[in-house]
Amino acid sequence: MSFAKMTASTLAIAAVSASAAVAQSRDNVQVAGSSTVLPYASIVAEVFGDNTDFPTPVVESGGSSAGLKRFCEGVGENTIDVANASRAIRPSEVETCAANGVEDIIEVRIGYDGIVFASQQDGPAFNAFEPADIYQALAGQLIVDGELVDNPNETWADVNADLPDVEIAAFIPGTKHGTREVFEEKVLLVGCENTGAFEAMVEMGMSEDDAEGACIDVRTDGKSVDIDGDYTETLARIDSNPEGIGVFGLAFYENNTDKLKVATISGVAPSTETISSGEYPVSRPLYFYVKKAHIGVIPGLKEYAMFFVSDEVAGPGGPLSNYGLVPDPELAATQDKVANEVTMSEESM
Amino acid sequence: MPVLWIVLIVLALAAVGYVLGRQRALASADGNSRKLHSLPSFYGTSVAIFTMVFSFAALIVWMIVQPIVVENRVAATISPETIPEGRTIGLMMSDVRRVADGLDQAVAQGAMSADQATSIRTEFTDVRERLGQIGVALGSDVGPAVLHAAQRYRAMSATGDLAMTVVVLGLALAGFAVAYSRTHRDFRARNVVERTIRYILIFAASIAVLTTVGIVLSLIFNTIEFFRLYPAWEFFFGTTWAPSFSGRGGGSELGIVPLLWGTFYISLIALLVAVPIGLFAAIYLSEYASPKVRSIAKPMIEVLAGIPTIVYGLFALLTVGPLLLSVFGDDGLGWMQAGTAVMTAGLVMGVMLIPFVSSLSDDIINAVPQAMRDGSLGLGATHSETVRQVVLPAALPGIVGAILLAASRAIGETMIVVLGAGAAARLSLNPFEAMTTVTAKIVSQLTGDSDFGSPEALVAFALGMTLFVITLMLNILALYIVRKYREQYE
Amino acid sequence: MTDATASTPAAPASGRRQSISLFRQDAHTKRRNAAETRFKAYGLTAVLVGLFFLIVLFGSIISNGLPAFTRTVVELELTLTQEQYEEAESKLLKTGAYRDFFIAAFDRELEERGVEVEYDAAALERILGKIGGNLREFYTANEDRLGQPVDFELSTSSRIDGYFNGRLKREDVRDSRFLMSTDLDLADELYAAGIMKSDFNWNFITGADSGVDNPGGAGIGASVVGSFFMMIVVLVLSLPIGVAASIYLEEFAPKNRWTDLIEVNISNLAAVPSIVFGILGLAVFIQFAGLPQSAPLVGGLVLTLMTLPTIIISTRASLKSVPPSIRDAALGVGASKMQAVFHHVLPLAMPGILTGTIIGLAQALGETAPLLLIGMVGFVARGYPDGFVSGFTEANSAMPAQIYTWAARADASFYEKAWGGIIILLLFLMTMNIIAIVLRRRFERRW
Repeated sequence: MSFAKMTASTLAIAAVSASAAVAQSRDNVQVAGSSTVLPYASIVAEVFGDNTDFPTPVVESGGSSAGLKRFCEGVGENTIDVANASRAIRPSEVETCAANGVEDIIEVRIGYDGIVFASQQDGPAFNAFEPADIYQALAGQLIVDGELVDNPNETWADVNADLPDVEIAAFIPGTKHGTREVFEEKVLLVGCENTGAFEAMVEMGMSEDDAEGACIDVRTDGKSVDIDGDYTETLARIDSNPEGIGVFGLAFYENNTDKLKVATISGVAPSTETISSGEYPVSRPLYFYVKKAHIGVIPGLKEYAMFFVSDEVAGPGGPLSNYGLVPDPELAATQDKVANEVTMSEESM
Repeated sequence: MPVLWIVLIVLALAAVGYVLGRQRALASADGNSRKLHSLPSFYGTSVAIFTMVFSFAALIVWMIVQPIVVENRVAATISPETIPEGRTIGLMMSDVRRVADGLDQAVAQGAMSADQATSIRTEFTDVRERLGQIGVALGSDVGPAVLHAAQRYRAMSATGDLAMTVVVLGLALAGFAVAYSRTHRDFRARNVVERTIRYILIFAASIAVLTTVGIVLSLIFNTIEFFRLYPAWEFFFGTTWAPSFSGRGGGSELGIVPLLWGTFYISLIALLVAVPIGLFAAIYLSEYASPKVRSIAKPMIEVLAGIPTIVYGLFALLTVGPLLLSVFGDDGLGWMQAGTAVMTAGLVMGVMLIPFVSSLSDDIINAVPQAMRDGSLGLGATHSETVRQVVLPAALPGIVGAILLAASRAIGETMIVVLGAGAAARLSLNPFEAMTTVTAKIVSQLTGDSDFGSPEALVAFALGMTLFVITLMLNILALYIVRKYREQYE
Repeated sequence: MTDATASTPAAPASGRRQSISLFRQDAHTKRRNAAETRFKAYGLTAVLVGLFFLIVLFGSIISNGLPAFTRTVVELELTLTQEQYEEAESKLLKTGAYRDFFIAAFDRELEERGVEVEYDAAALERILGKIGGNLREFYTANEDRLGQPVDFELSTSSRIDGYFNGRLKREDVRDSRFLMSTDLDLADELYAAGIMKSDFNWNFITGADSGVDNPGGAGIGASVVGSFFMMIVVLVLSLPIGVAASIYLEEFAPKNRWTDLIEVNISNLAAVPSIVFGILGLAVFIQFAGLPQSAPLVGGLVLTLMTLPTIIISTRASLKSVPPSIRDAALGVGASKMQAVFHHVLPLAMPGILTGTIIGLAQALGETAPLLLIGMVGFVARGYPDGFVSGFTEANSAMPAQIYTWAARADASFYEKAWGGIIILLLFLMTMNIIAIVLRRRFERRW
């Protein structure tokens, strides 16, 4: 019998403690979103906790999609205050937000993320990369003698005689990643246009949309492998395949220079300098979004946002750029925006 | 009065009720327990149950309802003009709650007297600073409207708490009194207690159904949204899984067939590894091994179930994959392109599932009555013949349960598939090719970066729902088959 | 297959043809005995295979994870003046200022000692870890120590640490802003001079998570506490509910549609991918019931729902295996059905129930996916909860979530930390198992 009593009292206590928790007010900033922004957000959150009297913010991972979805769920303490995103919020998402009562959103651009190609330290050196080479190596179908055929290239040397004569094995971000979009737009599509394949396809009677689709179509015969996990997974793949080449974030590569050898694109090696000057072509902006309605309600929210974009933190020489974030040249404008709480709808006016 | 105290008082009352009820029953039978209808402890328990059930039910309901009522009534007193622009009433109420909490804390810490807390005015005191001194962080300055509301909130909550204490304790006492007065040697106390327990058991069993309802409800809306954006026909019968990030160039192809095939294939290989090893291990441990070996080996194998799946994933990626590649790859038989394959994930998942089969089967085999073994051995059968022909058939229903549990785990596993089998969706018979499962894709699409209203993100919910329905149908089928062929040993 | 039954009538038949001796085995017996030996060998092999994988896994976990338990520190005496303190506190990035003061003091110390290797301030910058937080924490708590010399032991950067624990080889070093190969010469000399030394990394066991650029400050302690509170919730809810549900289904439930529905539901829930429970938890516990985000309470509730099927299925199997004679005997001497079940069947089924609980809890302890959606995966570094009750509601992480996050970080030092975390997780798991095993041994019997 004691067992049944135990069950009953357990349930009662659980219910009681649960409802006691409801009344408690949240005192920390709650952030969720992109796993690309997570490293930077974690640096800021730790330093913010160390340097202020506010509790350390909680930064969840889970992807831009899930982060923005929860951001747009509504206002109130059991929703998040800040969403990190590795892409700009889409108009359709802004609409959903507004429909749920999240009307005032402050968009904050924190800097740029460089995307690099790297191979094993002991592997072959890729020093003569052009977007066109990558396109020709990885596209699903190529134009050969005026006809679309399955990609015949077996080795990098088949593509470009200056490249090492090793079999093509590329580990590229899976279609769930925001990085994939950058890879498609800034590498494959550019390569497709540079080789003239795009024009040729349009001349063959394809619509421009179809041609673009064909350009970013990646081969599925195993030479190119989608990675749905993190960069550490890509690194593990490269570790077990000396001829493989993988796509990484700049910060990840810089933290692993003892294992990885970076490839140059059009002769430019990636670094925070070459990316911020625009010489190195493959990069993208990173953002976070602040719920204005929560400013003043959740302690430390505005302070967190201000701290994040301050010169000491996000500027050159700060902990973020030291880790590998490419500083935004227009940081001062962003600081003003956060200080004055300028929302997206006010911006577009 | 704090809730904890109320709970403790009711529990104490119940304990007292147990003792008194027991005594009263015994007294009514002149101390001779044989004259009682039920055992003395049942009389005690029935008093305790009456004391607790109604009062706790009232407590739980009250605690859920009171904040809602108080909140609504306080919110109703806030005039719309006093809400600052850009604020909703809901956010203002969370400010109110925070200030009210802060005042409570201030009183509790002795920084303010109870009178001060109800009488302070924003005109004279900087409430934010006052509360800040005792460590209550407030997001913004406290306006008069918020402070008034907070004070009203406190007043109403205090009244409510008082009423709750009275009602709950009253109910406890009433229950106590009723049950105590009923306690007599002819009172059927056991039936009351057993009926109560039975309701508790039924409630516990129904939680599974509630969970299912919860899962369906949390998946269904997004699933419907997905089918509005993407044709159901192509989802269920499409043989290509190729989501595109941006929906550029013809959009995504989201056919579930290759994912289902991958799920089936990987689970099959995992079970082909886990079932024989697990079953033989269970037989050895329960039938042959000395108690000492068993007491060490069994928990050791159980540890395999507790190793986080990410470790198995890395093990598949870094150890098993390259090992298989060296045998079946280009240097060996030439069947394998890369280390990540159905085989890699299946083998490693099989290792993870060994304890699910072995430990549960071991307990079940162990529970087969020794008399059955003795009978078989006495007739001259060898030990292995006894196991195969007597013990295993007797333990079969339990073993099937263990295998089904292992199969369920295989279907639901993510990390090993992501790291060991790759992310490519493919329809192929070759176990040395990369494939992926429904679960792995649910995780990856759910944690991706795409637009959360796009079919690429919503497909996760549809995948979850489909998998749910498929496993449900398989389970119904399994139940039907088991019913039809179950051997009755009773 | 049918040896046992076939041989009995066959024996007298063969006995008429030839005399048999108990001491000489005929071909048939030999075959049966060989089958017996084979069968036993299969069993032993299976156990050994299981143990082999366990050893392989343990080997790789331990060899990868041990470096996480040591760290390389710099020992230095620092005197911080009141003015320096005020200057640092007036800045936005206070911790950076503290670090600069420490580096300046470090520089002076090395100058006094006359270090042979050439270096500049930037080299010290690269050698030291992110120590500003530790310094500020110390001085804000002990303002009276300002102006007095204080001995500090502060962690070095992850690369210097990796150099001394063997992760980073000198020949692999590529000059970068994180490390120049000349820094290693300086580090070697400092190590020889005793300013730098290796010691046990207590912070790893007691600390909370740290930012990605501060591997030296990362600890798993806070998330152990988070897991602990989650396991309390899971154990307290799933074991009684699971056992109660199984008893009802196995012993009392009438055979009707409702029972069938429950039964099918339970076995189906076992196959639901764990992340779907996360979706459920987010919708029901956080958005509907308004429980706090990232709280062990919510995590525990989600994991309870996830482990219930495992516990119910194994409990039912072991209830089923209790011989009917036990029930019949109890009922025969006048026990009610309820008494027969609770007093006689349940204790006998206990070993199986405990096994199911061990496996269920182990699964719950190692699960990351459902925590992803309720906010326990990511960067949760609030440290220890204030009290027992707030331990359930205050934002915290859990061990597998922490390990998962570390495994995804760029700095290879976090990779070691992830494996080190797995060691702690397994220790936690084994403690849990040992308790269950001791209990199981007390209940186990054969009849």
